[in-house]
Amino acid sequence: MARWGMTADLDRCNGCGGCVVACHAENNISTVGPEQASRGRAKHWIRVERYWEGDFPDVKLKFRPTMCQQCGNAPCEPVCPTYASHHTEDGLNAQVYNRCIGTRYCANACPYNARFFDFFNPSWEKPLQLQLNPDVSLREVGVMEKCTFCVQRIRGTQTTAKAEAREVRDGEIQPACVQACSTRALVFGDLEDPESAVSRLSRSPRGSKLLEDVGTRPAVTYLARLTDEI
Amino acid sequence: MTLREPQGHPEQGRGVKAVYGLYPTGSSAQQAVNRLRAAGVADQEITIMSAQPMEDFEFGHIDKATCMWWIACGGGLVGMSLGFFLSWLTETSWPMNVGGLPTWAWWPNIIIIFELTMLGAIVATVGTLVVTAFLPGRGQGRLYDPEVTEGQILVGVENPVDSRVADFQKALEAPTGARVKTL
Amino acid sequence: MTHPTGAQINRDLLRPLLFTSWRFYLLVAFFGFFVLAGLVAWAAQMTLGFGISGIRWPVYWGFYVTNFVFWIGISHAGTLISAILRLVNAGWRRPVTRCAEVITVFALLIGAMFPIIHLGRPWLAFWLFPYPSERLLWPNFRSPLVWDFFAINTYLTGSILFLFLPMIPDFAVIRDKATGMRRRIYGALALGWRGTPKQWHRLESAMQIMAIAIIPVAVSVHTIVSFDFSMAPVPMWNTTVFGPYFVAGAIFSGIAGLLIAMALLRKFLHLEDYLHPVHFENLGKLLLVMALLWGYFVFNERLVTYYGNEPAEMTVFWQTQNGPYAPLFWTMVIGNFVLPLILMGIKRFRTITGCVIASISVVVGMWLERFLIIVPALSHKYLPYSFGIYRPNPVEIVITAATFAAMALLYVLFAKFVPIISLWELKAGEHPSPELIPPATEEHRLGDLHL
Repeated sequence: MARWGMTADLDRCNGCGGCVVACHAENNISTVGPEQASRGRAKHWIRVERYWEGDFPDVKLKFRPTMCQQCGNAPCEPVCPTYASHHTEDGLNAQVYNRCIGTRYCANACPYNARFFDFFNPSWEKPLQLQLNPDVSLREVGVMEKCTFCVQRIRGTQTTAKAEAREVRDGEIQPACVQACSTRALVFGDLEDPESAVSRLSRSPRGSKLLEDVGTRPAVTYLARLTDEI
Repeated sequence: MTLREPQGHPEQGRGVKAVYGLYPTGSSAQQAVNRLRAAGVADQEITIMSAQPMEDFEFGHIDKATCMWWIACGGGLVGMSLGFFLSWLTETSWPMNVGGLPTWAWWPNIIIIFELTMLGAIVATVGTLVVTAFLPGRGQGRLYDPEVTEGQILVGVENPVDSRVADFQKALEAPTGARVKTL
Repeated sequence: MTHPTGAQINRDLLRPLLFTSWRFYLLVAFFGFFVLAGLVAWAAQMTLGFGISGIRWPVYWGFYVTNFVFWIGISHAGTLISAILRLVNAGWRRPVTRCAEVITVFALLIGAMFPIIHLGRPWLAFWLFPYPSERLLWPNFRSPLVWDFFAINTYLTGSILFLFLPMIPDFAVIRDKATGMRRRIYGALALGWRGTPKQWHRLESAMQIMAIAIIPVAVSVHTIVSFDFSMAPVPMWNTTVFGPYFVAGAIFSGIAGLLIAMALLRKFLHLEDYLHPVHFENLGKLLLVMALLWGYFVFNERLVTYYGNEPAEMTVFWQTQNGPYAPLFWTMVIGNFVLPLILMGIKRFRTITGCVIASISVVVGMWLERFLIIVPALSHKYLPYSFGIYRPNPVEIVITAATFAAMALLYVLFAKFVPIISLWELKAGEHPSPELIPPATEEHRLGDLHL
């Protein structure tokens, strides 16, 4: 059984935000407009967290693409009253929109603030509705949503591989952010396979987990930046 | 000084339905009960009614046995089993992995079990009260006098044997402040 | 101080049921207006989308959950007074039990609305109820929100029944005095009550069982409400002190709510002969004890956090001590601790007015306490990039105001249809048996009433 994971090489990441845009396009995430965004209603399943340190001219910049870490010990899962948030056998934290009644407890429990609530019904100005991805359902007002490691692509590739009576190849499944990353900082694959790219990179001495001391056992490994200077 | 209302003639073929007295204090009611007992009436056949529980008098303790505590415990057991089986059956039949927690564990489920236990005990208790309110009383009928709610204590006998009615009236009249009525 | 007897008690306490003045209709209209406004606001939220509230990333719980915890807390009034004082046979509880139990039931009803109001899809709230569905889904019994559902429903059922049981003999009194439709309705509610010793025994056994059962349920309810917070790894939430802290806070706010209700009833229904200053004094002393206990728990929670000096927790800590939430925090400390200590600690101030002022400050302080537990922690979790400020929107403020109006409205309506002081319990206190109750001390005497 696979166990999906991701590595993000912070040395390669240049904060371009391509992953954010690709995620919006792939997963039918609507934009909310400037007024709602300023009120904290934006739904960036992956976001580039950016921190400035120090005063000019000794400014240091740190940034990190942050998405749902698909935790092994996910605090968002036991608290959902309707099992809308639960763990799949291949290590994903599943969010079942149909089961969600919108208590938002999962979002409070998530230490990474990786979960987002649909405050309004989504809308796209014509003709943008033509670019919606038919593989991903639209979420109505009142449900929680978050990064799924593009589970539609995972399942789609698994189905194709099964139809072709072969195993899924390493690197064949690429979530939208991984595919769009201009510097190939994001790598996705099966952590159960010790030879896969993601397994080898997670074992790197530069590797660490985000908020490891909270005890969530995330599936995403961040490879530290070699220098803090811009 | 006692008041006796004129005795109506019982209708043809029907006896006296009840003979009772109304007393202003607990002590005179207690005397009436004692006199009725002296007249040979069994405790179960004496009808007593009051507007508050007269626990500081002996007659307030007649017929004290109740199995309500056992019923409450039984209800609690039913609730406990319901809680246990509900959580165990549903969590093991459709096992969901949430946060890596075990499929069924005591710690989180004990809360549901506890709440349903208490709910069972509560519902059993009140259910018993409501159900017994509608069941006919043992050997007692529907005698009632609204003066009871004004603070009078009613002591009497329902469906008395015709020949004893006069005895009962005499017994009931004796304590102070008695007002005897016959139906 | 006069000491009314049987028939006088009936007359005084049944007067609100038999006579209605224009003031009643005015009160109902006034509170009803705010309740209606709240319902309109909620309907707007359901149709226009949850976004019209102030909830935002990452503060996903705000006014609604604050109100939820607050009202469930207020509901602990009845349990303490009715159940605990009944069990220890404290005679001074007699005029106060029903006022308290009514607060419990209505506060629970209002509080239980909020888990539905704050849902993103409230029309699916019934999924919390365990029923066999074709989707093969049952609620997640490991979720604190499902524990909430079971606990609050158990407590609500228990409280309603605990309120109803002692009303049965009083319904019989009203049945005997009423005519026509009212006689039939109250007669049905009285369940054929006659007042035989067997019926009294059954009733008192049932009430004894209920009193014993309802106390652990009440403790569990607010502990489970606290689990809504302590089960999440949020800085300053994930602490074991929340269970007892919330229960103590609930009893604290419950007593305050009860004191306010009693003072209002005494004034508007002219119950000066029944609710004596000594009742307020005794409850005021309890308020003082709970204020001290509350202070102890807050100190405990804060000292342990401060000593741990963990970065995420200290960020939240300083938010309330000297950050943007500091004015609210210090208002809360004054309202919950300083003012009650002064007013209830000094005998000269422990009058009815003093009790009411202290209680109002406690109610305000406890509401702020719930808010300050929820919002600062959520707005400052672990990753600073995702910190966020929460501001309530009009819809949340309107709904909050509507709940206070709803409480008042329900109370006014209740006092119109049911005697607010238990007739038979008051009369039963007139002649307790010497061997049942120890000799009264001077401060427990209410005129000729030995307690």
